[in-house]
Amino acid sequence: MRFDQSRLHEIEARCTQESPPRCQVLCPFQLDVRAFLTEMAQGHPERARKILDRALPLPGILASICGHPCEGVCLRHGLGGPLAVNKLEQTCLAASAPSRPLSLPPKKFSLAILGAGLAGLVAAAELARKGYPVTVFCAASPTALLTTRFPALRTGDGLTSDMEALARLPLTFEEAKLDAALLAHCETGFDGLLLDADAAPSLAPEEESIDGPTRYWRDNVCCAGRLTLTPTGHVFPEAARQAGEGRRAAQTLERLVGKVSLTAAREKQQGSLHVSLEGVAPVPRINPGNALYTPEEAREEAARCLRCQCLICVRECAYLQKYKGYPRVYARQIYNNASIVQGFHTANALVNGCALCGQCEQLCPENFSMADLCLTAREDMVERNCMPAPAHEFALEDMESASSPECALALNDISLSGGAHSARLFFPGCQLAASRGEQTTELYEHLRGNLSGGVALLLSCCGIPAHWAGRQAVFTEHASALRNHWDSLGRPEIIAACSSCIKALDLALPEARVVSVWETLNALPLPQRHCAEISTLSVHDPCTARHDTNWRNAVRELARKCGAHLEEPRLTGQDTSCCGYGGLVACAQPDLAAEMSANRAAALPHTALASCIMCRDRLATQDKGCLHLLDLLFPRPHMSAQNVAREKGPGLSARRANRAALRRLLVRRFLDEDAPEPLPTGVHVPPEILVKLEEHHILLEDIAQAVAWAESSGRYFKNLENNRRLGSYRPRHVTFWVEYSREADKIVLHDAWRHRMNTPGAGGNAAHAGENA
Amino acid sequence: MSMAPDYPPDSGEWICGVCCAPLRQVKMQVFYLNSAFDVSLPSCPECGLTMIPKSLAEGKMLEVEMLLEDK
Repeated sequence: MRFDQSRLHEIEARCTQESPPRCQVLCPFQLDVRAFLTEMAQGHPERARKILDRALPLPGILASICGHPCEGVCLRHGLGGPLAVNKLEQTCLAASAPSRPLSLPPKKFSLAILGAGLAGLVAAAELARKGYPVTVFCAASPTALLTTRFPALRTGDGLTSDMEALARLPLTFEEAKLDAALLAHCETGFDGLLLDADAAPSLAPEEESIDGPTRYWRDNVCCAGRLTLTPTGHVFPEAARQAGEGRRAAQTLERLVGKVSLTAAREKQQGSLHVSLEGVAPVPRINPGNALYTPEEAREEAARCLRCQCLICVRECAYLQKYKGYPRVYARQIYNNASIVQGFHTANALVNGCALCGQCEQLCPENFSMADLCLTAREDMVERNCMPAPAHEFALEDMESASSPECALALNDISLSGGAHSARLFFPGCQLAASRGEQTTELYEHLRGNLSGGVALLLSCCGIPAHWAGRQAVFTEHASALRNHWDSLGRPEIIAACSSCIKALDLALPEARVVSVWETLNALPLPQRHCAEISTLSVHDPCTARHDTNWRNAVRELARKCGAHLEEPRLTGQDTSCCGYGGLVACAQPDLAAEMSANRAAALPHTALASCIMCRDRLATQDKGCLHLLDLLFPRPHMSAQNVAREKGPGLSARRANRAALRRLLVRRFLDEDAPEPLPTGVHVPPEILVKLEEHHILLEDIAQAVAWAESSGRYFKNLENNRRLGSYRPRHVTFWVEYSREADKIVLHDAWRHRMNTPGAGGNAAHAGENA
Repeated sequence: MSMAPDYPPDSGEWICGVCCAPLRQVKMQVFYLNSAFDVSLPSCPECGLTMIPKSLAEGKMLEVEMLLEDK
């Protein structure tokens, strides 16, 4: 397996979605401010109270005197003002009854607190709540120091309610002189001890002798509750700081008496939560009419909370939204998927749904890459023979077909003589050849006519489907075939017309120089017949050219030379979105791919301009007007640009047929060889049936084979009601069924379906003797 | 995981093209990825030519195929 726990943690750590927001990080008690405000916004102060009571040991006191550092870091600052968290806390406490604390079983370790300052009382409350018997030694009454230090407490009733709550805990207040004798007595008489530095300053050590993060001093003693010294020399009690030290000291005391490490697994290492403020409108802070908010005011103020979260990548990607999580969760699911020994691999669809387009990595401030994760997972699944065969089978067969002798062609420039090699090699890519045979030919002629040293041609698939499918062995084998062609053509510079091909060729032939056809064309005179009737176009960059600045610049320059006015959509250039073809998602999960195409189409306000033929054809499936750059450079005769933009791309069967047709045309034109047209199959497939066939990855050649098998073997069923025939054929791991009728001189297809299960007596198998495939 | 046992033709009155015999529901096994399932399918009683109705192929059969592929 290619994943291990430490690698997983590294990957997970890049996604900050689960990191707490800044307000929570700054709170000494890590109050879930976001959840608190959500409840307040929904008008549920009693639920919000539970959140306060869970986090704050002395909610009444703290809500009255806390300096609310949470508000200082609120991202609403500058967008209407920070959320009034503190005032909402006070409103919540006034509007709700305290929740009942859980009574925990008593603990055997006795603890002492020297001094009832804020830190001492916080620690006492924390520890007593957990069942520790706590004795608080104070010089005067338990609240005397607090009310002196924090005058606001004298007027509020928060102090009263908190002291009442403390009285219900296993906690005793003892009046005593806080001196060295008491300290010595407590050190020996109790299992652990906290010295409140504000209440007993003469006993407190220098700050240097205390461990800051844990507040551990020596032996079984912690110290907390320092006063704060300002740069101007002013000394004052800072509630948030003292209370925070009290909590940390309480946690340390627990670890001390439990004899566990004071530091191990204590602080959670998490990156800061990234929050995008793009598109957030300012909403002014609501100031209460009276001392506290009315319920309506409280709801309105709390509703201003941005509910800070990252989801920067998820917002832009239909795939990341589909599984209702975010990359950190997905990384864990993919790891678990790879780790299970028995049971179902529930994350296979998650692994195969990614378009590998790299947008998330580009947008993420930590560069989390779902593409790397999913591609590694695919390679791992293939290696362990766990990859569901249907996921990428059709695309891999298409790749094989595009590279088969019927479609592939390696052609040296015929103008060169004496076995000389061409200086360049044009590699249009199998999808351009499948979709735009005539323009491919025209483009090749244009390159030959304008470049010296000869331009060879190679029709073949580049192998990217195998790479995307995680089939490294297939990719390597294909790369070797490409290398043979390249070697035989004299290792020329490669001019590629597809950005995915450039990626694949860079992997397959790392020593080859590969440039985009757009860069090459941009350095040549414009073709004479270029289109000049299009005005404003929305540029759509292919995701595989995300990091190819030369490609993207050349596309724009060429379009402008043709007179087009270009507009950049919201996500463009490096941030571009996938059309739904990338990563074979269109093969593995066509519905998801369609959603990606629709989202991208909707994000392009004008007629789109694509520079990758699959982008062009995918956007056109969504009724989005889209031109390919070749439509500007080599416009189609007798067709307006508008009609070209609206035209749908060819279907799956037509693509295969077009590749073979282009090869035959080139063989006849350049090699002067006979290349006979294939015989018609004699099967008529109505257009509405063809659409359904393509949805199920059933090709016309599968239909023709199945009909031919049924007719030649006579093994079909006959429907006496309408005289239709039903035959089946299993050429590989799939059985195809064809329902057809014989009409005069042709066969008409009425329906077709397929399945992978193997059935004796069907698909050409002998009855009662099925293979266990 | 199980497949409901009986799958007659979706519609129509079918006979075997070779034997001209009307089809009968015959219990047999279908296979996929090292698993076998007992089902009753329309089949010629004489030559054993067997039919997979479209509703089965695109319904329960597809569902079970996908489950097994994820196993």
